[in-house]
Amino acid sequence: MSTLDQCPSTHNKIDIPEDAPELGTVSGRKYWRSMEEYSATPEFKELLEREFPVDASIMDDTSRRSFIKVMGASMALAGAATIPGCRRPDRKILPYASNVPEHVIPGRPLFFATAMALPSGGMEGLLVETHAGRPTKIEGNPLHPNNQGKTSAYAQSSILDLYDPDRLKYPVFNNSTRGKLAATWDDFDVWANEQLPKFDATQGAGLAFVVDKQSSPTRDRLFMQIQQRWPQAAFVAWDPAENRGQADGSKSVLGQPSWTRYNLSKASRILSIGEGQIDQGPEAMRLARELAASRKLLSHTDEMSRLYAVESKPSSIGVMADHRFRVAPSQLHNFTIALAKAVLLKTAGSGHLLPDVDVAGVSSTEIQAIANDLFEHRSHAVVLPSDSLNADTWALCQVINDALKATDEGLVEFFPMSPQVASNSSHSLARLNNFLNQGKIDTLICLGTNPVYDAPGFIDFAANFAKAKNTITLSVGASETASASTWSLNGAHYLESWNSAQSIDGQMAITQPMIAPLYDPARSEVEFLAGLLTAGDDHADKPDGYKIVQDSIRDIMGLGSAEIGKIWKNALHNGVVASPTIQSTKKPLNPERLIRGIATRGAKPAPAQSHLDVQFYTDRYNVGQSANNGWLQELPEFGTSVVWDNPLLLSPNTAKSLGVLPLHTSQDEFNPYTKAQMPQAQLVNITLNGRTMIMPAWILPGMADNTVAIKLGYGRTNAGRVGNQVGFNSFDVKTITGMLTAGATITKAKDTYTIASTQNHWSMEGRDTIVRAMDKNWFDKHAEAGIKAVPDQIYGAFSPDATSYLNTAEQLGELAHTPPNISAYENPQTGSKAGAAAGSAFSKNPQWGMSIDMNACTGCATCTVACQSENNIPVVGKSEVAKGREMAWIRIDRYFTGDDLNNPEEIFNQPLACVHCENAPCETVCPVNATTHGKEGTNDIAYNRCIGTRYCANNCPYKVRRFNFFDYAPVKFNGGLDPNYTSKAVADKFEDTVGQDRTANQNLIPPRLRKKLDEISKMKFNPDVTVRSRGVIEKCTYCIQRVNSARQDVKIQGIWSEKDQVGPIPDGFFEVACQQACPTDAIAFGDILDPNSRVSKERDSHRTYALLGYLNTKPRTTHMMRVRNPNPAIHVFDAHDPLDHSGGHDDGKKSGSHGSDSHEPAADTHGESHSAVFTDSVKQYLDQGYSLSLKVIS
Amino acid sequence: MHGLQPGEQPVARSTPLIPGTSDDGTLSEDTGKRAPCVLGDRSFEDVTNIVCGYAEAKMPKPWLAALTITSSIAALGTGMILYLIITGVGVWGLNNQVDWAWDITNFVFWIGIGHAGTLISAILCLLKQNWRTAVNRSAEAMTIFAVVCAGIFPGIHVGRVWFAWFLAPIPNSNGIWPNFRSPLLWDVFAVSTYATVSLLFWYMGMIPDVATLRDRAYMRLTKGVSRPMAIPMPIGNDIIVPQLPKPDQIRVLIYGIMSLGWRFSSRHWHRYEKAYLILAGISTPLVLSVHSIVSFDFATSIIPGWHTTIFPPYFVAGAVFGGFAMVLWLMIPLRLILPNFSDLLTKRHLENMAKILLLTGTMVGFAYGMEFFIAWYSGNEFEFSVFANNRVNPAKAPYWWAYWTMIFCNVATPQLFWFRKMRQNPLVIWIVASFVTVGMWFERFVIIVTSIHRAFLPGEWHMFFPTWVDILTFVGSCGIFMTLFLLFLKFLPVFALAELKVVMPQSHTHDDH
Repeated sequence: MSTLDQCPSTHNKIDIPEDAPELGTVSGRKYWRSMEEYSATPEFKELLEREFPVDASIMDDTSRRSFIKVMGASMALAGAATIPGCRRPDRKILPYASNVPEHVIPGRPLFFATAMALPSGGMEGLLVETHAGRPTKIEGNPLHPNNQGKTSAYAQSSILDLYDPDRLKYPVFNNSTRGKLAATWDDFDVWANEQLPKFDATQGAGLAFVVDKQSSPTRDRLFMQIQQRWPQAAFVAWDPAENRGQADGSKSVLGQPSWTRYNLSKASRILSIGEGQIDQGPEAMRLARELAASRKLLSHTDEMSRLYAVESKPSSIGVMADHRFRVAPSQLHNFTIALAKAVLLKTAGSGHLLPDVDVAGVSSTEIQAIANDLFEHRSHAVVLPSDSLNADTWALCQVINDALKATDEGLVEFFPMSPQVASNSSHSLARLNNFLNQGKIDTLICLGTNPVYDAPGFIDFAANFAKAKNTITLSVGASETASASTWSLNGAHYLESWNSAQSIDGQMAITQPMIAPLYDPARSEVEFLAGLLTAGDDHADKPDGYKIVQDSIRDIMGLGSAEIGKIWKNALHNGVVASPTIQSTKKPLNPERLIRGIATRGAKPAPAQSHLDVQFYTDRYNVGQSANNGWLQELPEFGTSVVWDNPLLLSPNTAKSLGVLPLHTSQDEFNPYTKAQMPQAQLVNITLNGRTMIMPAWILPGMADNTVAIKLGYGRTNAGRVGNQVGFNSFDVKTITGMLTAGATITKAKDTYTIASTQNHWSMEGRDTIVRAMDKNWFDKHAEAGIKAVPDQIYGAFSPDATSYLNTAEQLGELAHTPPNISAYENPQTGSKAGAAAGSAFSKNPQWGMSIDMNACTGCATCTVACQSENNIPVVGKSEVAKGREMAWIRIDRYFTGDDLNNPEEIFNQPLACVHCENAPCETVCPVNATTHGKEGTNDIAYNRCIGTRYCANNCPYKVRRFNFFDYAPVKFNGGLDPNYTSKAVADKFEDTVGQDRTANQNLIPPRLRKKLDEISKMKFNPDVTVRSRGVIEKCTYCIQRVNSARQDVKIQGIWSEKDQVGPIPDGFFEVACQQACPTDAIAFGDILDPNSRVSKERDSHRTYALLGYLNTKPRTTHMMRVRNPNPAIHVFDAHDPLDHSGGHDDGKKSGSHGSDSHEPAADTHGESHSAVFTDSVKQYLDQGYSLSLKVIS
Repeated sequence: MHGLQPGEQPVARSTPLIPGTSDDGTLSEDTGKRAPCVLGDRSFEDVTNIVCGYAEAKMPKPWLAALTITSSIAALGTGMILYLIITGVGVWGLNNQVDWAWDITNFVFWIGIGHAGTLISAILCLLKQNWRTAVNRSAEAMTIFAVVCAGIFPGIHVGRVWFAWFLAPIPNSNGIWPNFRSPLLWDVFAVSTYATVSLLFWYMGMIPDVATLRDRAYMRLTKGVSRPMAIPMPIGNDIIVPQLPKPDQIRVLIYGIMSLGWRFSSRHWHRYEKAYLILAGISTPLVLSVHSIVSFDFATSIIPGWHTTIFPPYFVAGAVFGGFAMVLWLMIPLRLILPNFSDLLTKRHLENMAKILLLTGTMVGFAYGMEFFIAWYSGNEFEFSVFANNRVNPAKAPYWWAYWTMIFCNVATPQLFWFRKMRQNPLVIWIVASFVTVGMWFERFVIIVTSIHRAFLPGEWHMFFPTWVDILTFVGSCGIFMTLFLLFLKFLPVFALAELKVVMPQSHTHDDH
């Protein structure tokens, strides 16, 4: 503790409340040397009588008083700001801003750079906003080359894990005879000093580690030292959702397991095989950014790439694609073979060696067309295989890349993978499991892993885990493994600890703590490992993360102690240590053997009802570790929009033919939502490799037929009150064969199961003007022709010959066909078009606006969780979502279009928050003036004034206003699944009744009978934003707190000449939360009157349209229509000019071939009830690309 | 003139009434002649005894049973309201797409019910429809009670009930006024004006009859002591008040206060008649304005299915329709439970009201058709979709059954009244009135919920399902309504005595009816 002296709070040792028994708090090392000796002491005698109850926690149910006592008396909470810095970490860390304030200014946040290691390799560079020493918001580090100021949803939500009230709070010793005992780290040190040195004799035999695959150079260095001390110790790098494609595939063609980096900035033709490339993984952020950039365009002169996607399950990359093919997991292999053959035959390669294969889902002409297109654009064409593919397929994709000269041109780069990451964790764990079973393991140490929960079901790891004599788990959150261990140690969150992280090219960054551990003392992984290294040495110093990390950086970079000081400071400040240290390998590919091997092994059979293909997948890196994170639980899953669950997903036709469609009404076969208040899924038994489990079946349009997608990471039993019993533990049926497998069968089970989804309708109902889209050739033509003058009254003045000027996207919508709207009433806003005309009420800078580019939106929903974090949006729980009461301010609408829901023609994402109408329908109807218009064009809401009539929400055509039906934010949340929400007596009663129903909604209990939010959970709130009570409406504010803060900052800097001036605010001076987080920069926000701002440039684009603009709402948030770049040899979406309404399109939009399965017999389409049209009489308008017309008059 | 003694019944009819038959003499086979408004050769005293009788005698058992049931339901409803207030609006089935459902449906439903009373008392008074005298008092009472129920829902449906006073234009330190552009605020003014005027109208009309009750209460207690009419007010009078039993003292006291010193002087009558006429004049535009303004809640919005210019007249017609249905629905059982009233509330009245049902029902049906036509004619796909796909089309609309229930109840069933036999049969009328009441509730449900559950953007479509709290709150409001009405039957004069006597044959020397 000698170095930890700067903060007064650390002077006070943790003060465990009276009712928690203690194990030698007075530092047992002076009094006993072994367990046997210790058991004779009076302390232990006393302990026996006060056995610590299982799973009780010290911090639970604390009053404010005892909380402060635990945290240290001088702990600074909001309001107790006398020593505002005292929860800051003890080491000097440097604020991000170059203009460092002398001290913390109360009320102003400070930003610090740090880094978060991703679960299976790679990292994200972050900036953390801290208020009075308390981190409140994660943002991307703009200086970090990988994510460049952007983040993933996983990083955004990681701050909630820090304030998880169910975290492990102190070490627990599980004595086999006396149960679980509260202990201290001193106790553990004494125990470790006693127990671990015995492995010195065996060289570590009998000792085993199960660690995750994070790439931390510091940790790797410590592991090397541990291996030096105990060379015989077994190490398992465990990733429960491991994809082998990249590691094994690169090994087979390069001879060495490698990371792959795709540089899409040079690519004009991109083929994606499989899913997840831009969602998860060390390169996902970069890939998403570059992919989106290649598809953005403002005018007809801009180029865009062409993206093909072949995938089993709708994913973000498939949704962005110009051509998307539904192909079962096994057939992805066949597809790749067929494509490789087509490409290699053109390049004098070894294509002739490959067999001719059938691909279910893609015709050979289509494959040929793709191959032709890629080949014609060789050197600028690249194939992006998913990691989840098998090694052969993945390697074959690189062979294609090589043939397309992508590798030569630097579109594909390989970086050597560390052996730890490359190791096959399923095999290692299986071997460890055998050792455990044979009793060869004496002591097992689990570091950040949870194998008791997530080991594949068939190896029965939990039973063997108990066979080890001693098990030690270091974990931040509660876990099944920690609970089963001899020693359960409380780890430090990455925001509380020193560490380092590394990207695949060796770019290092330092993880620096933002706050001292909330449950001090806690140890980070590196401190714990360093402690193991000195086990047995009673006089060793306590491990100090700061020193360990600094030493390791110095060691790795080969620096002297003088140099490190300077580099260290820079690194802390910038969040990036130095330029990349790992060179990309230039090894030539060796495809010959691979191709011969593939030819021998042959194609894979297509799946059928009796043996379904199975795709295991994870969402947002969650393999279960995020179970207790309410933000991630309530973040709608891509495609299904399901929250709080992991139903197995089937295509509509597959579900129908298996007879497991969710309960539905007679009207809507594939939309089950109208049957009951909470949508009901059919429970099914899924059998895979001899193991059976029960899961709900849910349909997802666009899934490959005869394919089951199963999400991992649910069904936790010991995650905390939010995550317990949410969903189903699909690790039960997971095998070690990887994430794609085959041979499952499904039978209908008896019951149904509630599923909550934030979007209850698949189709856009033919309302083509909501998400507008146009093929690039037509867009180029019309954008070049420029704006079109049409007689239109809606935006014009009164005279009947007034003219409106519509850009291309607007010509596609209602405004081009709206009849004159002659009104006797002069609207005071009429002078202001959505562009804020000069002289109007909105002609003074700044006037805020937002533009959302639907070519760039991947639907990742990072904006949603960033908004949730910034604006203190509560989590409402599964049953509330099922009733349609989710609170997210920005949502992603997802639509499937086309006549066949089973095989949708296109899938659209449309992010939508309050659009801040200049002519807002909500403002006129509020009876108490609670929602009014700001001078800067924002639609403001005064929570204090709102009485909750909800009239504004009813009158909002976009339905973006959210009502606090209950006291969501101020009352303790438990996931909506667990009934332990009231006093024990009440809870007992509910245990028998409501508690039996897993969807029981604790909100129905009057708030006075429920617990208030605990102090720890309150710390997550952004102090700049009000926490709303029940009974008020809320919605997107354009981050008004950030706007106001920016205005003050600009004023202080003195760039405004006049005293009363309040604008302009320079573009990019600040960003709103969703914009800041968006990995693909799909969201632009700024001053629409500033001609140089990004938002005004986007608004000038021919792609921009106002959603439902014909209502004359004049939204400030506009959307940019999607422009597709299809391959005419495969399919064009607009066979005729979409702006030509002269008729004659009776042959429909489909031309060219669109895959054999898109022309299934009409009997199979079921499109009638939910396809694009309302009635046949209306359909003809819809087909013409517009939907509002006066047929009778004209 | 003296009150009934305990146990004494109002004068029995010479020929007993058999409900459902024509032997009650209400039907005149001679089409040129109308049936009399009061049957059974009743004398003036008989009429007074009948009207005041239930207030003085013990109520029949069915009334007691009904009161027990309805007051229990009312208590349940009150419990639901308390639960709602302490827990949150989320105990209802509302969500972020359907922000109004049963709450506003019930509000508009009850407000609509309240229309018949004012229409009967004001417009029919001005039009000199003398048959109205039999039903006007109870219809007005029904209006008041319906407005009470209607007032509950907007009051409790807001998220923060304790701040509902923000709706009032009260000067405050922040200088914040209500938003006068909001139709919801217009509602506050319209409904409160309507409630005030209706209450005044009802109460003022009752004063002479309450005075009669007061006098009779006094006189039946001083049985045998003859007292001149000139000094009917016993309180504070120098005449020695005999020692009365406690309940009777209270009756005298309360009726005495309520009658505001009414002494049946011709000057009183003169002023009474004038005031009555003025209030009728004031009420008449209110009949039209209240429901027009309620309809503005929807008509001024931009939600397809709400944004409809036909709403004001359509809502008024619907309200009259629903109101008369409720009057009939109450009056027909009333004739059974309190049989003495059958001579005053005859089939002629029922038939007249059935004709109004037929008229307004057809108007409402026309409005439904026009609404649909305009939605199609406008060519606006969002508009048309709400009508075609949210409501009408059983193959697409999840709430199609609500729409077709509405059409069947409101448009189809009143067509029975084209047939004389049907509109003269109390049972048939009662059944149709029940259907219409249900149908009118569904009309509001259809307008509110089916419009907003699937509005512009399919991404936000969501169903509404009522919770048990929704249902019990509505049932509870029915309980409150019925309880108040049953108490009215017991404690207040159900008929306007003076007006009733004016239309009795005895008051006409000539035989023009």
